[in-house]
Order: sequence, then structure tokens, then C-alpha cells
Amino acid sequence: MTRRLSRRSVLRGAGVALGLPWLEMMTPAKASANTAGTQAHPIRLAALYMPNGVNVDHWFPEGKGRDFQLTPSLAPLADVKDQLLVFSNLWNANSKGGDGHYVKEAAILTCQTIKKTPGADLANGVSLDQLAAQKIAGQTPLPSLELGVTPVAIGVDAVVGYTRVYGSHIAWSSPTTPLAREINPRAVFERLFRASTGQGANAAKMDTLLLDRVLGDARRLRNDLGASDRIRLDEYLSLMRSMEERVQRAQNGTQRPWKARVAMDAKQTPPENPKDHAEHVRLMMDMMATAFQTDTTRVCTFMFGNAVSNVSFRFLEGVSAGHHDVSHHQKDPDKLRQYQIINQWHVNEYAYLLKRLKNMQEGESTVLDNSMVLFSSALCDGNKHDPHKLPLLLGGRGGGRIDSGQHLVYSEDSPLANLYVSMLDAFGAPVERFADSTGPLPGVLKS
Amino acid sequence: MVSSLLASDARGEEYTFARSQAFLKQYCESCHNDKAAVGGFRLSRFATEASLKAQGQKWISAAHRVQNREMPPKGSPAPNIDEIEAFTAYAEQAVHGAVCAAGPQPGPAVTRRLNRDEYAATLRDLLDIHLDIAKGLPTDGAGGEGFDNAAETLFLSPLHSEKYMDMAKFATDFAAKEYKPRQKILIAKPGEGIAPEEAARTILREFLPKAFRRPVTDADVNSYVALFQLAQKQGETFDGAVFFAIRAALVSPKFLFRAEPPNPGPGPRPVDQFALASRISYFLWGSMPDELLFDIAAAGKLHDPAVIRELVPRMLRNDRSLGFAQRFIEQWLRTRELAGDKAPDAKLYPLYAEDEELRGDIRFQPILFFRELLVQNLSLLNIIDSKYTIGTSNFAKVFQDRLPVRGNQPKQPQWVVLPDGIHRGGLLGMPAVLAVSSYPYRTSPVLRGAWILDSILGTPPPNPPANVPPLEEHKEGAAPKSMKERLSQHRGNPVCASCHSRIDPLGFALENFDVLGRWRNEDNGVPIDAASELADGTRLNGPEELRKYLLERKDLVVRNLTRKLLGFALGRGLTLTDSCAVDQIVAKLKQNDYKAQVLIEEILLSEPFRMQAVSAQAAPVKPVVSKSEKEKSKP
Repeated sequence: MTRRLSRRSVLRGAGVALGLPWLEMMTPAKASANTAGTQAHPIRLAALYMPNGVNVDHWFPEGKGRDFQLTPSLAPLADVKDQLLVFSNLWNANSKGGDGHYVKEAAILTCQTIKKTPGADLANGVSLDQLAAQKIAGQTPLPSLELGVTPVAIGVDAVVGYTRVYGSHIAWSSPTTPLAREINPRAVFERLFRASTGQGANAAKMDTLLLDRVLGDARRLRNDLGASDRIRLDEYLSLMRSMEERVQRAQNGTQRPWKARVAMDAKQTPPENPKDHAEHVRLMMDMMATAFQTDTTRVCTFMFGNAVSNVSFRFLEGVSAGHHDVSHHQKDPDKLRQYQIINQWHVNEYAYLLKRLKNMQEGESTVLDNSMVLFSSALCDGNKHDPHKLPLLLGGRGGGRIDSGQHLVYSEDSPLANLYVSMLDAFGAPVERFADSTGPLPGVLKS
Repeated sequence: MVSSLLASDARGEEYTFARSQAFLKQYCESCHNDKAAVGGFRLSRFATEASLKAQGQKWISAAHRVQNREMPPKGSPAPNIDEIEAFTAYAEQAVHGAVCAAGPQPGPAVTRRLNRDEYAATLRDLLDIHLDIAKGLPTDGAGGEGFDNAAETLFLSPLHSEKYMDMAKFATDFAAKEYKPRQKILIAKPGEGIAPEEAARTILREFLPKAFRRPVTDADVNSYVALFQLAQKQGETFDGAVFFAIRAALVSPKFLFRAEPPNPGPGPRPVDQFALASRISYFLWGSMPDELLFDIAAAGKLHDPAVIRELVPRMLRNDRSLGFAQRFIEQWLRTRELAGDKAPDAKLYPLYAEDEELRGDIRFQPILFFRELLVQNLSLLNIIDSKYTIGTSNFAKVFQDRLPVRGNQPKQPQWVVLPDGIHRGGLLGMPAVLAVSSYPYRTSPVLRGAWILDSILGTPPPNPPANVPPLEEHKEGAAPKSMKERLSQHRGNPVCASCHSRIDPLGFALENFDVLGRWRNEDNGVPIDAASELADGTRLNGPEELRKYLLERKDLVVRNLTRKLLGFALGRGLTLTDSCAVDQIVAKLKQNDYKAQVLIEEILLSEPFRMQAVSAQAAPVKPVVSKSEKEKSKP
């Protein structure tokens, strides 16, 4: 009941823009410093999520500040070490308790405690990426890009009492709206291509006519429905209205001129069915890089897998089991060894993305200089299901605001949400508070 | 009233309300008393027998938390598994009895969008096009009873709105070029004495009710004719402009959503005929009603039990019911996961990885089996044990099972009689089930046992308690141990044993089946030992004894299947009063030899399925006004 009221009132209160009330609750710290819109080069924000935690023995570096040595799991980042922040001792307090996975993983970018439910009253918070996207809404053809490689996990986890919808979504545009992901690389490419090239004037005109009719139907249907049934219709109406705005914006070149910063090449169309997990992930890294390079969107999330993912990593030399199974190593040295190999593989993909962005020149700088790319897992040691001392990395200089090239060690149990406060500041979407934050995270931004 | 439904504990002693109170007092009161009320919960809520009805949902959630060992919290004195089970069984039965005294009540009818599969099937049937449209849409998560048609989790993203636009264009562009769809849709054309908008009106008047699954008004038709005219003004041809109007209809919420006219009250009422036609067709076909259903609805006959009983076999025989069987079975048994994390490892099982045909056979075996039970109206107990299965020549080749596959198309899946001594009767002899309840690289009696408890018996095992000791100590150079030896630790530790003695033996009984479901007599050089003893002393050895054991618990099995299917039919989680309808359906099944069609009929005739609760009133909602807006509005 509470959910319904809040969802409904939010829609009423906010009109078109879902999530606006939360934005307003988080009063801007400074008078709108929307650097993303005014700077020569836009700031991009991506968050990558790896399921199942890490082998802690080979993750956290020796040494603090600028003087630190990459551990075996972080070794693939050697070439971009000066563009990297490694964090120690951040945790996500609100994801404590509940169950071993869903509570942690759905909250990695929201820092809220999700509601335990098989589905009827889904509730989380608004995620980091969506706060950023809502701030710059309308400045790029796509507001944000949600990517993954596996379909939404099926069913409800009857044992713990959570719908697996939670474990399959890290991006939430409102506390009740997880964002669907695209998992087909070709579909992503085509979507980026169309968004960045736009459509002809006639096609746009036709779309406008069509949307007009659809919105008319939606309004009429809405009037015929009971109060509780209007909620879904309202969601639909608001989506279709933003679609209409998007079509119109693309038509009206003077209002907010957007131009692809680099043209996309149709010859680069990726295969529809990648041959294996490794190729699939790699193609998605390429899609993110392309999206950022062209400026088709500035906000992106990517899930290497769903919560409790048990993707087989037997394609890696020396690994004999699935991801989740290995993460429950029970201190078995052989499983720990395999766990580390799997962690390192993920970091290697992350490093690939950072290096691609680094090779994309943007004036005097590179796309990586103007990006913030978070690598995260919602658990520390997968065997313990604990959200203390989370494995977190931040790549890129955020347009020069990020003081990269450090291993930042905090006092135990410092809030992860503080990192998000700093990232949103660098993005140009500053907030006073984010969930349980207590302020910006010291050392992240250049003073 | 309540006394007649009393549960009993492991020793067969009657469990009374007073005993539940003693349990709560002993384990919960120190935190949940009137003074402390940790988490906002106080025991005084549960102090009277009347609370079983008035606070039914609270009782059930408290029982679940105890069952899952979330409560009492770590560090507090905890009840043992027998006490937990006796308490939770009592709570469930007592609440159930109290709530069902008034009979089943219809639940809420929630407006929901078509899910991915429904959307694709509806476009297919509406336009008569055969394309893999679902592939282009994001997959849906599941809610309620675990199905992806649950209204509560069918949320919308910007990605959906984009896809709806793209798909509508894609589908109409395709239909506009094909002979059959054109024949079906373009039933009029402009010509002598027929103005273009007149022809368009004829076409749309026929098309729109199908697309919106209910009669449309003249105003509805006019607005789409107007759109046709606008498109013509933009230079579209007659055909182009018609298909453009159709394209718009496919993005209309009247097409994309299943919305039912609200019930203003004062009491529950039979659901509107056209809404009921959609409920039935999306349940049994996963698609729009056909003309016959539409006509029956128009004649106002869909609430007639005799009509329903005639419809059921007809709808089940239709090819479209295959989609229903597939979506239900693949989610109920979770065999859909064979296409993901649960796929048998390609290196260890190249046979599976490399033979697409075999993969299809394996995947479709339980689906086709279930559908045959429905079409032939056989006993549902066939899911536990059966003289029949679905066979193909591939199965015979791979599983060394001499299935009597017939005819000149032995590769076609067919209904076959199982030879004696082949161990394959029922779902538990099927490779898809045996694979999905294993690790991709080895079998696991724990996974299989838990799978049976959850999917077949509907009694999922609780979470392991905190700080479980590691199961398998790694010892270099140790001789290979049998799975049973390795799992014997579960028996050695009383904390583990309390649950694993209920889980593992069910799985051990299937150990002769490898990951792909092939029969084996040894694993890793160690002979298979499929015998073990359940917590209650029952000895189980091999699949036959397991089937016998499950048949003795057929009430649980049938009840679980009924719950699942009712949840699927309603497309939402079941409420407490829905479980009263489950009781009634199960009773009917018992009287009718568990005939499969009886299950479908009784669901269609049940209160929750054919009735509609009073809609929530459009109570004035206080809009959230942000601080800045409030200040702005000050004079």
C-alpha cells in the first residue's frame, strides 16, 4: 500500500520526469555547476558490476596513496594505473542483512535496503547512474544505456523470498522501476547507430503523428480505469511523452544542438550471437566505448552477470567450475586460486575498456580523461556474503576533477555512498546527500 | 472452527494455539514485547485466536521468517528444526482455516502490459506473420508464483517504449509485403464509389476490435481514420496509410496493455466478458482470443460452466497451447535455465553442446509430455510416474533406452510407451530435469533433493544457518570418494543433518543419472550407491522408490502444481484467500482421478479467475509537493 501511494504521488507530483522528487530532495550543493553541459568535452559515467565478490588475498594493493603495487587480480590495469583509483574499506551499510545476494547486488548503485518481496511491492532507491542521467536529460539522444550479457534471471527465489528481478538490475530510475537491459550486441549497435544518425524529417513527422494518436488513446484509457490501474498507464504515458520529446528535439536543430562527436561506421556491426561469454562481454565493452565516443549517451551501466551468476568459466585455463560455485571457496586453496583467475579475467575486460577509451582522442584529452568508469562488486568475500570492504575501482579522470593514480584507504566501514556523492559532483550533478552518505569522499576529487 | 484444522507435530501430538503462544513467548518475546517492539512488531498482535484471521498475513510472514531462520536472530536462543516446523505448519494451517471460513474471494485485477512472449504471439496471430519478434525485446523478470507474466514485475523502461515503436514498424512493414497478412487485413479497397477513407474505415472497424481485444466505439475508429488521412496527406499510398494507422494501434496502450473495466462495487462481480476472454486466451494460449472466443464473449456466455467445459479441450488441442505448456513448464521446472548458467559443460558433455537437435529434444520433452497429459486428459500423477514419455530416435541413441519410436519420422517427438525397467517414468526420468538440478559439470544430490522439495513438493528447504562449516575439506592426493562419503559430513554434524537428512536422500535416489540423465553404475570409478535414509526413517533406494515415496505424497505434489498453475493463470502472486480456491480445486481433482483437464476447468471456473474484486476508489491523493514548489506557491 505504501508503495502504491508513493508511486502514484510521485507521478502526480513530478509530471513527466520520473524521479524528479528525489532529485529535488537532494538539494544541489552548489548553484548548478552542470559542467557536463558546458564543458568543451562532456563527462561520462559508467558503472560495471561483477557478481560474487573477490578473492580478498589478491585484490587489495599493498601501499597507500600514490605509492601502491597492483595485486595479481589488478595487474591488467598496469597501463592505466595513473588513471585509476583503488578503494579500500568502503562498505554499503544498507545492504547488510536480508539475504546473501539480492539485497547486496540490487543496492550496489542505490545504497538502499531493498524490500523483501516476490514482486508485488518492489522497492529500492534511485541509482547513481540514473541521478546523473536525469540531471542531463535531453542533452544526448539516449538518456542512458543499460547493458548486460545474460537474460533476466527467471523465477522467484522461494528460499529467501526475493524476486530475482532484484538480482538482475542495478539501474533504477525510481524506487519501483528497474531499467531493462539490452543483451544483444547487434541490437545495441543498431540502437546507437540510429540514435546517433537520426532519422529523416518525414519519418520523424510520421512518428510524431503516431505518438500523438497513442497518447490520445492512453489518456482516454486512463480515464476508463480504476485508480490503482492508472499507475501503469501513467508510467506508459510518461515514457511515450519522453519519446515524443525526443523525436521533436531531433527535429528542432536549434533548441539543443547535438551532433555525434565521431560518426559511427555501419561496417562495424557486431554479430548477433557472440560465440561465447568472453566474446559477448568484449563486444559489450566495445559498445560502451562507442556510445561514449560518439556521445550518444553519457551514462551507462553494465552487468557482467546477474546476482548469484554461475556462468561457467571453464573456458579459462585452470578453472573447473561456475562463478558462484567457485566464490563459495570455503577456504579450499584450489577454489581460491580459481576465484582469483575469474576476478582477474573481469579486471582484464575492465582494463580493455579503459584502454579503448584512452585511445580515443578528444581534442587535447582522451575520452578516458573525461570519463568515470566504476568497477564494482556488491560483496567482498563471496564465501561470506559480506558488504564490508567492497572491491571498488574508479577509472578515468572525470574531466580532470578526479585525483587519479592512488590507492585510497579509509577507516573501516566508510560509506560507499560518499564515493557516489563525489562522483556526482565531478559529473556535474552535485547532491548534498546520497542515501546514507555523510559527505564527499576525501581524496577522490582534486582540491 | 480452528480446532478442526489443528496441525500435529513430529510426534503426532496435536499442536494447539496455546502451544504457538508458548513458542512465541519463549523465542520472540524478549524483543517483540509491548515495550520494546523491535522492528515495529509486538507479540500482543498475535495474542488471540481471532488474530489468525485479522492478522493472517502477519502470521504467515512471521512463520516464514522463523522457517528461514531469519528469526530469532543470530546469538539468541533458537528453536530446533522440529519446533520450527511444528510452529510454521500450525501457523499456516490455522491461518488458512480461519481465512477460508468465508470461502475464496477474487483478488485484485491488475492492469499489466503484455509480456515479451505474449506480445510476440499476439502480433503473430493478429497480423498472421511468422517472425521471431520476441528476440528483439528485453526479457521479463518474474514475480508472484515465479512466472514472467506476473503483473507486479512487468515494469516499463524507456527501452520498452523504443522497442514497441521499432517492432510495430518492423511488423507492419513485413505484413504489408506478405500475401496472407494483406488478404487478412486489407478487406476493402478504394474504387468506384468507394472513397479511400471509406475503405480505410471498413478495414479499421474490423481490425481495431481484434487489436484491442474488445469492441471499439465509432470515436475510436474515427481517430484512426483521421490518422490514416494525415498519413495520406504526408504522401502515403492507400496501403501505406492503412498500415501506418495499424502501426499506431500496435503502440497504443489498448493493444499493449491488458486493462479491465473497473468494478465500482459494492461487491465482487463476474469479470467483464471480453476481459474474461482475454484472461482465458492469455492463460491457455499466451495470445489474443480467437474469433470463437470473441463471439462467445459477445454473446455473453463465457461465465457458463458448460461453455467453459466445452472450450477447454478445444483450446488445449489448438497448436497455440504449446506456447502455454512451454512457458509454464520451463519456468515451473526452471528448465529454461538450460539455455544459460545451467547448460551442461561443453567440454565434459560435447554430446549436448554439439547436437542442437538433441538439445531441442531434451528441452521439449517435459513440455510436450505435460501438453499430452492435458490434451489426452490423463492423470496428473503421470508427472510423478508414468508408463509413457515423449521419445525421439535421438533419445534412444543417446540414453541407451530402447524407446519404441515408430514410423518413418523417428526424429519427431512422439508419445511412447516406456519398456519395463527403464527408470524413466515421469518428470524425474527426463534429462532436462536431471540436468537443471545438477551443476553443469557434476551431479549433486543436494541440488536435486532441494529441487524436488521446491519444484515438486512445494516445500523449499530453509536457508542454511549462519556459519555453516565447510562441506568438503580439500585433501591433496586423497583417493576419490563417493559423493555419499563426501556428503556424510552432513550427517555427522547435527545442525546440518537436521535439514540435509530431508534433502540429500531424495537426490541420492537419482544418483544413477548423470548430468545429462544417462544411466550409470559408477562415477569416477566409484560404484553408485543410491540408497539412503530420510529423516523420518524411510529408506529410499533408486528412482523407483523415490517415485513411490512421492506418490505417497501426491496431495502435496498436486497442491503445489495447482498453486503454480493458478498463479500462472492469474498472472500474480496468490493471496491468502486464493489458497482457499486451491483447496477447492484440489478437492475436485481428487474426486476426478486427477484428470488434467479438470485442473484447467476448475481454474477457469474458480472465484479468483472469473470474478473481479471491487476496484480501488479514485481516492484523492495528496500530491507530493517538493520544498521548492511549496515555497513558490506561497503568496
